[in-house]
Order: sequence, then structure tokens, then C-alpha cells
Amino acid sequence: MFYQTKFRSITLIAALIFLASYASFGSYFAREIVVEIIILAILAISLDLCAGFGGMVSLCHGAIMGVAAYAFAIMSAKLGWPLFPSALIGLLAAVVVSGLVGWVTARTNGIFFIMATLAFGQMAYTFFFKSRWLGGDDGMGGISRFDLSAIGLEMNNSLTFTYLGLGVLLLAYGLTAMVMRSGFGRTLSGIHVNEDRMKALGVNTAAHRAKAMAFSGFIAGLAGLIAAQHTLYISPELLIWTTSGEALIVVILGGLGTLVGPVIGAILLILMKHEISDYTDYWHAFIGLVLIFTVLAGGRGVFGQIEYWLNSLRSRHHDTDNHQTAGKPQGGDHA
Amino acid sequence: MDLSFWILQFLNAMQYSMLLFLLSIGLTVIFGLLHFVNLAHASLYMMGAYIGISVAALTGSFWAAFFLAPVIVTLIGAMLYFTLIDRMRTAGPMNQVLVTFGLIFIFLDLVRMGWGDIALGLDGPQSLSGTTRFLGVDYPAYRLFIIALGLGVMTTMWFILSRTQIGVMIRASVENTNMAAAMGINVSTLFFLVFCFGCALAGLAGVAAAPILSATTTMGITILIPTLIVVVIGGLGSLEGAIAGSIIIGFMETFGAVMIPSFSAVLTYVLLAVVLIWRPQGLIPARG
Amino acid sequence: MLEVKGLSKDFGGLHVIRDLSLSVTAGERRVILGPNGAGKTTLFHLLAGTLKPSKGEIFLDGQPIKAFDAVKRARLGIARSYQKNNLFETLTIRENLMLAAAAALGKSTHMVKDSSRHPDIRQRIDEIAEQVSLADQLDQTVGTASYGNRRQLEVGLALATRPKLLLMDEPTSGVGPTMIDRFHRLLEQLPRDITVLIIEHDMDLAFGVADRITVLNFGEKVFEGTPEDTRGNATVRDIYLGTGGYHA
Repeated sequence: MFYQTKFRSITLIAALIFLASYASFGSYFAREIVVEIIILAILAISLDLCAGFGGMVSLCHGAIMGVAAYAFAIMSAKLGWPLFPSALIGLLAAVVVSGLVGWVTARTNGIFFIMATLAFGQMAYTFFFKSRWLGGDDGMGGISRFDLSAIGLEMNNSLTFTYLGLGVLLLAYGLTAMVMRSGFGRTLSGIHVNEDRMKALGVNTAAHRAKAMAFSGFIAGLAGLIAAQHTLYISPELLIWTTSGEALIVVILGGLGTLVGPVIGAILLILMKHEISDYTDYWHAFIGLVLIFTVLAGGRGVFGQIEYWLNSLRSRHHDTDNHQTAGKPQGGDHA
Repeated sequence: MDLSFWILQFLNAMQYSMLLFLLSIGLTVIFGLLHFVNLAHASLYMMGAYIGISVAALTGSFWAAFFLAPVIVTLIGAMLYFTLIDRMRTAGPMNQVLVTFGLIFIFLDLVRMGWGDIALGLDGPQSLSGTTRFLGVDYPAYRLFIIALGLGVMTTMWFILSRTQIGVMIRASVENTNMAAAMGINVSTLFFLVFCFGCALAGLAGVAAAPILSATTTMGITILIPTLIVVVIGGLGSLEGAIAGSIIIGFMETFGAVMIPSFSAVLTYVLLAVVLIWRPQGLIPARG
Repeated sequence: MLEVKGLSKDFGGLHVIRDLSLSVTAGERRVILGPNGAGKTTLFHLLAGTLKPSKGEIFLDGQPIKAFDAVKRARLGIARSYQKNNLFETLTIRENLMLAAAAALGKSTHMVKDSSRHPDIRQRIDEIAEQVSLADQLDQTVGTASYGNRRQLEVGLALATRPKLLLMDEPTSGVGPTMIDRFHRLLEQLPRDITVLIIEHDMDLAFGVADRITVLNFGEKVFEGTPEDTRGNATVRDIYLGTGGYHA
């Protein structure tokens, strides 16, 4: 179950400050990296919600992000709608598609769920890849940028764009944290731990899981909108299953079921990618090894492992003091 | 479009189905027995193609490649088994997916390191070059060979599983591992042998496909998705399911591309969705 | 309150429950007795909706509920505690009760407020923890809690939904005499607006709490009556007490 502990708040704020300073003191290229981190972090938060709390290891989250980006681009660039309602349609499309996938797969578990989401994601990918109207594998451009000059924001300034992106990341985190602390989020954890008992308590677990997928689609949709606004161009690459796989790597690298972990994981993965690409062509082999090592080391991830150490230190401290805290539990690595 | 056109499509569909079968049978039996989903199975298929190309280049013989590539791929599989697969068996599906996903990345770069980024071809054997008159059409002899190979493996598998001692042991272990162990079956040796056998078939599929498809770094990932769909549609762990699934997907993709080209790409995914809603355990589920 | 008519369940030709009829009045404490394999737990599955009957009807307060699934029946006020612990193992006892309380109070679909701080939920957790004597163990993880505490939580989860009809499957199986006493007191203090069906092997407890006793054997009802009648009944003695395998 999720608790927004002090350690998590501090880590999140530190991560955001780090990204903001990296963007403001760095070059244009640094800002590109930060936006890349923001998109991946939001996608990973959305996936952590499903996989970390609901036990639904989805391999279609990249596709859901892509659906939002395409729906937004279709409405604005193809049909000429204003940007703001187009963005809402984009988010709505992600929610609907994600909820539908959740509804269809509600009775499947474990490896069946993974494969089903993989297939649905590829279905969406193939659809956009083959669609000539939407540019097929060349992708589509012609997307225009939000004009926020009315409130004094110049979106074409890369630094302003990056700050705004960080704002959306904070929003995505805040919304997800709020929902995971609520009765809805905790019940999702309960379904993950023991679905039968949750049914016996009168919870319609299939509908609950579908709703969780739909909400997760909303968060993934935010990532899709930033991706479309960032390059003003989108391609089916967004939807391909390896994008979802990369998000899953980020979640596991940072710490499954912690929400802060995915942000840390995204920073680590993207920075490593750019550092290592300078030295070698074989970045994939490196990330493969990191991934296998993370799983074999216990699968808690970087943030999750630190949190685990802190918690065991704290509980040892409590034991020697023989001092029981009746307050909220500190940990959260279970479910 | 006359009859010979449809016979040609039928043979194309058969050839694709047999390739899918060689891959999916290993994946599905490994799952049925070890409860392990090896996404890197398709990477072993890719390794089979590249190793086959190198062996053929060194020896100048396709048949040397055809027999040696599966053996080398099996050795790679055995190494994976002892370093990773065996200890990941009880780690849950997410960790299995992650680790084998990592393996896909590693194999991808290994191939790029060893063979480079460009597509490589492999010449089929001299004896099977050209076309043969079959069912009233001229059809490439090598493709007929692949169909025969697939049918041969299918028959052998069926014979092994239904008529031999080891087949009985495998079926018993798929149905109930604990019971099989209690009956004196050495389950861990059986697991290892079956895993190796699956790897050998993946390697065989790779080297057999190389003359038709040519080897690329993406060939593993490209075939992984249809193979997974075959396995899920047929029923995880089921031999009959893998046969039925391969034929359904092979024919649907081939004839779909001819008859309804605009819709064919999503057709298999729609079928998968229908199966998952209507029969989540697959069309011919394994017992146990 | 609960009416069961002609209920049957077979598993591939094996009749586990055969033409069973029951009538339980509101507020009653009904104990179900019977040797192993008599179909007691299957009866609870049929009542809770986790198994579908082959034949027969079930009415709750006059409403036919046979067509309803387990979720719908739970929402109608049927709660169940399991013979084998069926808990949220990786969560704390507080979190377990929180899930049950949130479900019962209709908060499990609320997406804004932190459910661990919700006053109604907290109050319900404290009440139930008091009732099942777990107030001091709330922050313990279930997986590491003692067997006794887990049995208490098993009952606590069912009680936390404030059910109309409570099905308890051997709530005291495997626990010591102090726990059985404690459980006896818990049952006596339960308000009479809850109807309770208990599968029980402990004779003292069964005779102590029951208003009426139903005895099953091979899926059929072989006897029904007050504890006094049951004690004196020869058939019951033969098929059940005569086996001598239990406390009495």
C-alpha cells in the first residue's frame, strides 16, 4: 500500500530540483535530455500504478501514450480543432483505450495479462504503422505548439518548455499519489494481494482493475501530449512494445510500487543512455545487463533498495528502544 | 485468380505456419513444464540464423550449417539455463519477462558486434535450388523442404509425446510436477532436457529460415509477437494448441494479406482479443 | 432470514450436497455439525456464491439470490470467514481491516481522500480490532503474525463489513483453549441483528453458543434441533460423536 512518506517527498523534490538545474545550467541538448526524462518518468509512473500496485504488468503503456499523442495530433493538425480541446480528446482517447484493454483483460492474470497487453499494444502500433492517412511509418508532423503567451509563457523557449514539463510531471505524480492513497488505490493493492478475499468483501474486482487501467491511461496520456508538443511530430515508434518495455525497465530499476522510484529510474536510464552512447554503440547490451542484475539483486530497484535499508535501520532502532509507533507504517515495498 | 494462385497461397501459408510451429512448440512446452516464459526464445532463433551463416561460410556447406547451428544454439541455451533460467523459475512472470527482455537486448548487441548491422543472406543447398512441380504449380523446392521439415518435427513430437517413456514423463510433469516427482521422475533433468530441445528447435527454425528471409538484427523481435500469439491462442503448454495456433495464424496472415490487405494487419490481434475474452485458457489448453 | 430449498451440488456425479433445506431465523446462531466430507464447507460456498448449486433455491430475506455472484451477495450482507486463513498476507493487520472497512463503507471506489486517515474507516478499524482483540497488533504484517492472531483477523475481516449474515467456517480450528474462550465471548457479545452460521468442531463451543444445530452427513441433513435434543439424539451420536475424533 502506498504512503507518501517524508523520505519519498524529499527524494521527489530533490529529483525535480536536480532536473530543473540540469536544464537551466546546461545547454539546449541538456534540456532535450530533461524532456526525454520527463516523458519516460510520467509513463513509468503510470505503469507503476498498474504493475506495482495492481500487479498488472502491462506491455501496452507505450501504445496508450501513443494513442493520446495521435488523437491529439489528428484533432489539431488533421481536423483543425483548437489545441486545448484536442488535448482533452487525446487524454480521453487514452482513458477509453486503456479502460477497454483493462476491461477485456480483467479476467486474465500473470503471464496471460502480459501477453494480452503486448498484443493489444502491437495492434495499435500496427494500426498507426499501416495507416496511410496518418503518414504510416513516416509518422505525422504539422502539430502546432500551445500558445501560452497570454499568461506570459513562451513555449518555443526550450527552458520554459522544460519547466512546464516538470510541472506536468509533478502533477502526474501528485494525482497518482492521491489516488493510490485513496480507498480506490488501496483496494487495488488489496486485489493484487488477494483477489478472492476482495471479492468476498463485496468489491467488483474486474471493474476495479479496468478503472485503474483507465486512470493509468490518463497519466500515460499526459506523457503522450508532452511527446507530441516536444517534437511537434509523432511516429508509430511511440507505440511499439519495446517503448513499454523500456518503461517497465525504468520502473524496476527505480523501485516497483514506490511511485518515486520510476522518476529516479527514468533519470538514471536516460542519463546512462547518453553517457554510454558517447563511448560505445552497444548501449542495449549494457541496459540488458543492468536489468538482469537489478532483478537478480532482489528486484527492489535503486530507490526501493535504499528505502528498504532505511526501514530496516529504523525498525532495528525501534526494537532496541522497545518503542512502538502506533502511527502510520513507513514501508511500502510490499504492495 | 485461378486455382494455381490459391494453391500457391496455400503452400506459402503452410511454410509460414511450419516456421511458427517450430518456434512456438519449444516456447509452449517450456512454459507447460517449467512455467517459464522465455521472450529470448526468438533471440535464439536469430542466433540460429547468424550462426548458420557463419558455419556455412566456414565449411562451404549448407547442410553443415543446418545440423551444427541447432547444436550451438542448444549449447547457448544450456548456458542460459544454468546461469538464469533455472533460478528464475519461481520468480514470477514479471521478473521472467524482465530478465528475458534483458537477454533480448544482449543478444541484439551480440549479433551487431559479431555480424554487424546489415542483413546477411544464406544460400540454400544446391540440391534444393530452383522450383519443383507440386500440386500442379511450380514452387521453390527449398520452401517445400521447410514444409516437410515442419510436418516431420510435428509427427516426431507427437510420436515422442504419445508413444514413448519420456513422452509419458513429460505429459505427467506438465499435468502435475509434484506428483511426477513423487513417482520417481527426475524432474530437474527432464526440465533441462526439454529446455535444450526447445532451444534446438529455435536454432533449427533460424537456420532454416535464413535462406528465405535473410538474417537481420530485428528478425527475432519480428517473429516473437506472432509466436506468442500462437502460444496464447493455442493454449500455453499444449502441443495440439501449438499446432492449431500455428496453422490458424499462418493461414490468417497469408490469406488475410491477399484477400483483405487493408485489414489483415490487425486481424490476428482481433482474433487474439476474441480468444482472450471467450476462452482465456486457449483453444486446446494443456491439462493440469 | 435465510431459506434454502432443495439445494444440491454434484461434482461430476459425486453428490456433495443432496436436497438440502434449511430455514434460519433472523438473529439466530446456527451451528453446522458433521464429519469431514459431510459437505459443510461446500454449503458455505453455495451460500456465499463462490460455487453454483446444481439444483435448488436460496433466499435471503425472501429475495432469491441464486443467480447472484459472490460480489453481489457480499454487498447484500453475506460475509464469510474461512477455515484456512485467506488474508492479505503482505499487508499489516490495520491495512487488512482498512480494506474491509473501506469496502463496507462504500469508500473503496473513492479516489481523493487518503483512506488510512478517513475518520469513519479508522473508527471501524478500532472497533473491530477491539472486538477481535487485535488492538495491540494492528501494525504487524499478517505474514509474520502468530497463527492465533491470523485466526482472529480472519473473523475480524468478516465482521468489519457489518454483515447481516455471517458464515464462519471453523473459526477456532487449530487454536488453544484461551482463544476458544475469547471467541466464545465474542460470539455472545455480537449484536442480535447479525445472523450467524458456524461450522464448528469444538463441541463445548457448539453447544454453548448454538440456538439450533444442523447435522450433515454425506451431504444430507440428518438431524436438526436444539443443543439439548442434539446431545440426546442417537443418530447424531452414531455418525458424529461416536467417531470420537473431536473434543467432546
